[in-house]
Amino acid sequence: MSLFVHYLSLPYLIEGIWFTLAVTALGLAGGLILGLVLAAMQLSRFWMLAAFARGYTVIFRGTPLILQMVFAYDALPQIGLKLSAVGAAGLALAANEAPFIAEMLRAGVLGVDRGQILAGQALGMTPGLLMRRIIAPQAIRTMIPAFGNETVSALKNSSLASVISVEALTLRSTQLASSTFDFFSIFFASGLIYLALTTGVSVIQLLVERVLDLDRPAQFRLARLLPWYRAPLAPEPITAEPIAPTCAGSDQAVPDTAPVRDAKVSRADRTRRSATLTRNDAVVEVSGLYKAYDSQAVLAGVEMTVRDGEVVALLGPSGSGKSTLLRCINHLEGWDAGTVKVGGRRMGFREDGKPLSPRDLANERAMVGVGMVFQQFNLFGHLTALENIAGPLRWVHGVSRADADRRARELLERVGLSHRADALPRHLSGGQQQRVAIARAIAPNPSVLLLDEPTSALDPELVSEVLEVIRRLTVEDGLTMIISTHQLRFADEVADRVVFLSGGSIIEEGPAHEVLTSPRNPVTARFLSIMEADRPTAAPA
Amino acid sequence: MMLEIVFGNARHFRDTARLAKRSRNVATGIACLIVLAISGQAQAAPAGCAALQAKYPAWKGKTLVNAINPHTPGYEAIDPKDPSKYVGFDIDLGEQIGECLGFSLTYKAVTFAALLTTLSSGQADIVISDIYATEERAKAADFITYSKVFDGVLVAKGNPKKIDGINLSMCGSAAAENTGFVEVPLVQALVPQCKAAGKPEPTMQLYDNNANCIQAILAGRADTYVNDVNTVDQAVKANPDKLEKALAVTIPYSVGIAVPKDKPEFRDAVMAALIEVQKAGIHKELLKKWELDPNNFKEPDILSVK
Repeated sequence: MSLFVHYLSLPYLIEGIWFTLAVTALGLAGGLILGLVLAAMQLSRFWMLAAFARGYTVIFRGTPLILQMVFAYDALPQIGLKLSAVGAAGLALAANEAPFIAEMLRAGVLGVDRGQILAGQALGMTPGLLMRRIIAPQAIRTMIPAFGNETVSALKNSSLASVISVEALTLRSTQLASSTFDFFSIFFASGLIYLALTTGVSVIQLLVERVLDLDRPAQFRLARLLPWYRAPLAPEPITAEPIAPTCAGSDQAVPDTAPVRDAKVSRADRTRRSATLTRNDAVVEVSGLYKAYDSQAVLAGVEMTVRDGEVVALLGPSGSGKSTLLRCINHLEGWDAGTVKVGGRRMGFREDGKPLSPRDLANERAMVGVGMVFQQFNLFGHLTALENIAGPLRWVHGVSRADADRRARELLERVGLSHRADALPRHLSGGQQQRVAIARAIAPNPSVLLLDEPTSALDPELVSEVLEVIRRLTVEDGLTMIISTHQLRFADEVADRVVFLSGGSIIEEGPAHEVLTSPRNPVTARFLSIMEADRPTAAPA
Repeated sequence: MMLEIVFGNARHFRDTARLAKRSRNVATGIACLIVLAISGQAQAAPAGCAALQAKYPAWKGKTLVNAINPHTPGYEAIDPKDPSKYVGFDIDLGEQIGECLGFSLTYKAVTFAALLTTLSSGQADIVISDIYATEERAKAADFITYSKVFDGVLVAKGNPKKIDGINLSMCGSAAAENTGFVEVPLVQALVPQCKAAGKPEPTMQLYDNNANCIQAILAGRADTYVNDVNTVDQAVKANPDKLEKALAVTIPYSVGIAVPKDKPEFRDAVMAALIEVQKAGIHKELLKKWELDPNNFKEPDILSVK
């Protein structure tokens, strides 16, 4: 026992820790850099890069570290690269850690909800911006436990550097054992030192997890230490009451300041309105749009024009191509033939007809202004309601923090959620999330708003609050909208025009009330009769 | 208590307490230290060295790297009293040669099997680490031989398997050896002999240092470990109630200093310096200092193959 204590406190062994830590640190830092490069190559659009990264991974993950160390130490000098022992060990460990770290990074990146990436793209975020603001912050949080594991494993693996004369703890222990013959006392002591080091790593891991935990109040989170954090400029409002005075205390309620429409009056108005609309400029022009998966056509030659201020309801059975059409309009998806013009521009193509790079496409989306609301809301999970709206304004449109926050608060108030400004999406109900998503989509003042079944994922009791928000947008903002929906009554109320899709083609279109009450196409009629319960009744004569 | 006052620090006290526990005579230890200090001073560079430094000026004032496998107390191991230092016969001899030619040495500790690779990759300039000069190894490095080889057979106390050398007495037993040791092929050569004699084959366990080989016997995994007789003696001294030396055997090799094949001038310089060191009687003094058999002494030869 006294021998054990003697070796535990022997400076010779304690100093060995520094070599162990130096090799580990070099291995992890180098592995992280190399791993980032490898992961980027594997996720790249260029197959050559991906194949090279695959090859590297196969070789360096598939050969023992001890061989790699000997190689770095004894073979590299043959080509004139003579590294110190610690350098060679660090290089070998880095080369060996890189594929593991790359896989961790890749898993972290791929683990971020695909919907959030689509939402970011729709908001005009470039791939780099998406990575920095949306993917990395969320991926890093999920990767910390794996990175903790990797650190512990690198620390233990550094002991192999003793074969190439790095005076790490292990080498010092074996040398000491050889000269003193106190085999067990020495190895128990060095084992305990390793244990202390790995315990330290675990403690750091837990602390980092705690610091980055989004569910902890911000002042404890120390998230402000992160590079992307900016201190809020405006003090938080002291009280944030729900806006709706009629339903104080119920955050489900949306202030309904719009007068309830009298169907008859509004229909007369709407006849006049549609007459005006036909004279407006076309905002969206789709012609001959064709898209097929394998040989199955999803869009079979769609022709559609949407004019400024017009609200178009896209109806049709599931799989009729509604979502695909919407995604083509802002070029979240490509197509095989036909053209899509938004605001007179061919989205996604250069002047000479060649496709734009993802980065240029993002900039074009931001410039043309096509807002999109998704069925699954797709809010950025790591950002508060306020940041979901204000963030993209700052990052994509270069709005100042103060202005972006003001705009975000204004919009949250409009959708009745100013009291939830600091809530994370996961703490909001589905209806609240969708209201935030709508606010986010209209924040940059898009020229057209696309809504892809905005209420389909909601519980029935939450549908009305979202529809109410959309209804008010049509009345108050006169926003151009294309809504795909199954809510026939709602379509009748808000849409100027209904477009009925079936099997990828428009089989019927016309003024909303007309199509919904007296469809000419038998397919439309059958669909509407199935949805009978929700069908608007024919206006009394 | 006196000791604590004399040494004045706790680490020395623990050291000496440990020594006392291992029945070492403290007084002898102190005496040894004094002798070491004196003898260290006494060994000034021999007279012929000045001429050598003039003839081979390339290494004067340089610091060279000596790759060692510091697991053989007596030849090269860390100093238990000051683990930042390496001590032993080979260490002293190397420093004497260095002093003669005007260079100093730093040490790089590697596994035994990696000694020559470290040299040929340029990570070390010289290897003085109780390595036997064989034809096979001389393909990787040139050797300047300086010592005869006597091996001892280490066995568990009482020699339960009655092993008396690398011969048929080893049939059916388990031998521990260091990876890369010359004894490995000698034991392997027994396999067909044992078979022919109708006896079970010997098995081989390869480790990467002496300590592990000795532990293999202590743990009952191996029956014997054949290595340099001094190493075997040291192991018996450390574990007198568990180990014993069965016998000394002669091995037809010499111990050599390894130098890179592409530096014949360095090889010649080292050999010339070794001759000076031997002429001055330092070689024999060092054998005595490290309690090695004076019969080990050998005048240098060069072993170099294409």
